[in-house]
Amino acid sequence: MLTISPEEIKLITKYIYEISGIHLDESKKYLLETRLNAIAEEQGCSSYQDLFKKAKADATKAIERKIIDAISTNETLFFRDTGPFELLQHKIFPELIDARSSRNSLQKPSLKVWSAASSTGQELYSVAIILQELLGDLSKYVIKLSGTDISDAAVAQASSGKYNKFEIERGLARDKLLKYFTMSGQTWKVNDQLRAMVNFRKLNLMLPFTGLGKFDIVLCRNVAIYFTLEDRKKLFNKIADVLEPDGYLLIGSTESLTGICPRFIPKRHLRSIFYQLK
Amino acid sequence: MKFYGVPMNTMRILVADDDPVILKLLEKRLGKEGYDVVVATDGTEAARLLDTMPFDVVITDLIMPGAIGGIQLLQLAKEKSIEIQVIVITAHSSVDTAVDAMKKGAVDYLEKPVNFDELFLRLEKISEIKALMKNAGDLREAMNVTESSAAQTIQNLEMINTNLSMQLEKLETILSDHHQDEVSRIEQALHLLESR
Repeated sequence: MLTISPEEIKLITKYIYEISGIHLDESKKYLLETRLNAIAEEQGCSSYQDLFKKAKADATKAIERKIIDAISTNETLFFRDTGPFELLQHKIFPELIDARSSRNSLQKPSLKVWSAASSTGQELYSVAIILQELLGDLSKYVIKLSGTDISDAAVAQASSGKYNKFEIERGLARDKLLKYFTMSGQTWKVNDQLRAMVNFRKLNLMLPFTGLGKFDIVLCRNVAIYFTLEDRKKLFNKIADVLEPDGYLLIGSTESLTGICPRFIPKRHLRSIFYQLK
Repeated sequence: MKFYGVPMNTMRILVADDDPVILKLLEKRLGKEGYDVVVATDGTEAARLLDTMPFDVVITDLIMPGAIGGIQLLQLAKEKSIEIQVIVITAHSSVDTAVDAMKKGAVDYLEKPVNFDELFLRLEKISEIKALMKNAGDLREAMNVTESSAAQTIQNLEMINTNLSMQLEKLETILSDHHQDEVSRIEQALHLLESR
């Protein structure tokens, strides 16, 4: 395996920050080596500096995408951390549906949910499963479930709706698995009905949120932890801009907005916290 | 049905084959290797056994008489638990069916006559993967415990911090209200603090 020098660590972490907003400090030598070595070898690079030069010079940005795919963490599973999903099922969705139904009796109530770092899609499909279970006949509603992620590979897998047995068996109850997925060989594929409820695309959370529209619920869990404090402030400020006035923000269970975005106030329900605009 | 071997920290294997000679041989050789072996003489008996106890591995002949053949047994096992690994045994002439079985979730297939060294190697691989999976599961469990404990602390701090900030804001508003004299401002501020 290629060894990364202290100078290269500086160079590469700065580059990764520029292309993704992911902030890695200088202690991440091992992480950089284990995740970038394969790309360096595949590109025939003799050093990480060489890889950096090649990536910068590559007009197609293919190497850049590979580096983002390798460095972004895709640790996720269906119904990861039950708290937020119980919150959605028992409090947030019922409240929102009530609020949206009473707005205008002529229009179908609409619900827009954004999974801001959707990774390989498990979070958003979990939301889709909850909605399907809760609402039954979805044709009475306008439902838009959007997932975005910085990694092309993650977006592609999320869009395919295919999971191997290691990805599927964690977090997903057997009855839901059999109801919403079909097995083909060693792969489980999400059913068309569930697949049709969601869409995924690439988005770098560091860039402006143009054309995103407004959301009733934003899930931004366990992603801001990879950003600097300044970038977190900017991120949650932009999220506040795209949230409906009575919308809900969910962040990771060990995350906090204290000192990050005073526009949100935390509210507690059972053993979870959600945020709403002041 | 017979039990072989002592339940060490090893895998329990269900073997299904309608050929009594092959079944006996598999039972003996696997038992000798220390595996916990349970045998069934056809698919129906194997299916019944699947309901009575947990298995790590199912080794099944593809073609068996009766309502439940190898493919059906494979599907039943996978429905029971996705973690059950299924190895199918097949005659050389039915390799296509074996490939079909792998598409349906079998981890491997062996051609008759069974090469035991090959079978043991595959079982060791399965065992290694199971150990790694368990290790990953243990780590994940440890992470979950740490995470949920940290989450409660952080949530408490988040709520306390918000309440204190709101208090502070109110106090600042009261104390800087220049329409009132200083004494009544302080009185109100004290009242607010006492009513907490």
